[in-house]
Amino acid sequence: MSNGLDLLEPKRRTEPQGPPESPEDPGSEALSDALKSSFAIVRVVLVILVLVFLGSGFFTVGPHEKAIILRLGKPVGKDDKALLGPGPHWAFPYPIDEVVRIPVTQAQTIRSTVGWYSTTAAMEAVGTLPPATESLQPATQGYVLTGDGNIIHVRGDLRYRIAEPGLTYALGFANASNLVLNAFNNALIHASASYTADNVLSRDVAGFREKVRQRLEAAVARQNLGIVVDQVDVRAVAPLKLTEHFAAVSGAEARRAKEVTEARSYANELVNRARGEAAIRIGAGETDRTRLVEFVSAEATRFKGLLPEYEKDPELFRNLRRSETLQRIFTNAQQKIMMPPGVQRRIQIGRDPDPIKPLTPPRVEGH
Amino acid sequence: MKRNPIAITIGILLLLIFLLMFFFFQVRITEVAVVTTFGQPTRDVVNPGAYLRLPPPIQQVYKFDRRIHNFESQFEQVFTSDGHNLLMRVYVGWNIAQPKLFFPRFADSVSEFEKALAGLVRNAYIGVAGSHPFAHFISTDERQLRFEEIEREILQKLQSDVTSKNYGVDVKFVGIKRIGLPESVTKLVFERMQSERQLLVRRIESEGRREASDIRSEANLQSSKLLAEAEAEATRIRGQGDRQAAVSMHVFQQDPELATFLIQLRALEEFLKSRATLILDTQTFPLNLLKGSSPSTSTAPKISPK
Repeated sequence: MSNGLDLLEPKRRTEPQGPPESPEDPGSEALSDALKSSFAIVRVVLVILVLVFLGSGFFTVGPHEKAIILRLGKPVGKDDKALLGPGPHWAFPYPIDEVVRIPVTQAQTIRSTVGWYSTTAAMEAVGTLPPATESLQPATQGYVLTGDGNIIHVRGDLRYRIAEPGLTYALGFANASNLVLNAFNNALIHASASYTADNVLSRDVAGFREKVRQRLEAAVARQNLGIVVDQVDVRAVAPLKLTEHFAAVSGAEARRAKEVTEARSYANELVNRARGEAAIRIGAGETDRTRLVEFVSAEATRFKGLLPEYEKDPELFRNLRRSETLQRIFTNAQQKIMMPPGVQRRIQIGRDPDPIKPLTPPRVEGH
Repeated sequence: MKRNPIAITIGILLLLIFLLMFFFFQVRITEVAVVTTFGQPTRDVVNPGAYLRLPPPIQQVYKFDRRIHNFESQFEQVFTSDGHNLLMRVYVGWNIAQPKLFFPRFADSVSEFEKALAGLVRNAYIGVAGSHPFAHFISTDERQLRFEEIEREILQKLQSDVTSKNYGVDVKFVGIKRIGLPESVTKLVFERMQSERQLLVRRIESEGRREASDIRSEANLQSSKLLAEAEAEATRIRGQGDRQAAVSMHVFQQDPELATFLIQLRALEEFLKSRATLILDTQTFPLNLLKGSSPSTSTAPKISPK
């Protein structure tokens, strides 16, 4: 049947060719000639029209899209074979064929604000927040419930592509991106319902994002949406009313970290100092040992050298050694004071030539 | 009269086109159609392609969008089986499967149908939510959370309702779009969260203090242990020195008197080595020599060390 139509369609434009046939009339031969020549022109015009009509079947597919041809409403070819890549193509003109373009490789982005506080683009741009309220009105203010029964705000950004061949996405849904958005909303709500508020907000941000992604992919598969999830971004904040309380917790955490760091550095310093001190003490012990051993062995050597001489005349040896030593002592002494016997002696200690000044603060005179 | 054969063919072709337009209709892949005969729906067309019909007014063709539509319910209050109050909103994917059934009820109005659907959806999710406790909706325990089960139950309920109503519609999927709490409850939640935060601040601070003091006392302990160990080691080394020195002692035993004398002399000299002031009796050796008296060793020099 489609073949019959294919042939018929272009010819329809030749319709005006019929009427010009007219009966012979010698009186109006000149008119007839004139008419014939104008028919020739009309014929050329018609041929051009047919060509234009057929030519209108040419179309090009852009670099970021694919196309399919619907012939009499049915896709030509199955699945992947139905897809026409970038470049020029030809299809029968409407109403036989219809070209549907599918932006397969182009990334689409949507944002889920079902769990976000109400804000506008203008407020976003300048960074102002809506006023914090005592409670949240369900109709106007978005939020999500976390697994531990808390309320937080979560916003998601999704980047996805249409999975090839893309027939489901392009032809299966009245508004596919709305359904994708709802699947994304569902993933956010679902993931939040299993996480604690602290984990979503700070402790396990990456894990939460991964969870959202898993949920989304499951929903996409279940609902057969025919998309590929490229990237999921999630932003979560504490309720505006509790911002300062959440900040207080972060502050406390920072203080704890600081306190612990300080204690660590104190501990490091103390232990290092103790190590140094320990090394010094061991060193002192070693020095003492060496000195004692050296001293005793030196004395022993000297003793051995002097013993034969002593044994010859102990008394003389003693006197000689004593005199010799006293001489050295007297020579070295800084001050020598001689006293005749029987004189009363008074010694004043501390009248030194160069006394060491005590380090006492100067006293203030007066009362 | 000369007949142009081309003109005749064209005439026939035109007639054919005219007839085709009258007797055929096309259904796109995104559509389904119903054919009515004298106003009565008689035939469903659910596959795309070109089809025959009798020309109007005998038969007429009505086309419907067969694609999946997105329907969203109100954000409405439900009660869980354990008496909690929840707000819930679901989305439903549905499409027209049998236009023959759909057409008499809703004509070609999707919004008319969605009005009917709203009631069914509401019944379904209020009923299903009422058979689950609160913990099936939100819970940190994955085993308790029954999100998907709830969605599946709503879907099943809705599918059976829609089927029994004979709307000619398929419900493809149901998902929860939002859950929330009544406004008055959010206020209570905020109050609880606030006191939780304050508790947390206090706990973190005391934890920090405890951790820091643990670290400090551990360090103190470690350093005093290091010092004590070092002291013990030094004592051991000194003892080793004493033992080593003792080896040389036997030399002195050959004449202990001389050894003592020598060591005393050495000690005296070391003692008075520098900056000493000597106060001497003139009778002391060797000053007594000046007076010509005999040498005496009885009196030792008086010593005043610095």
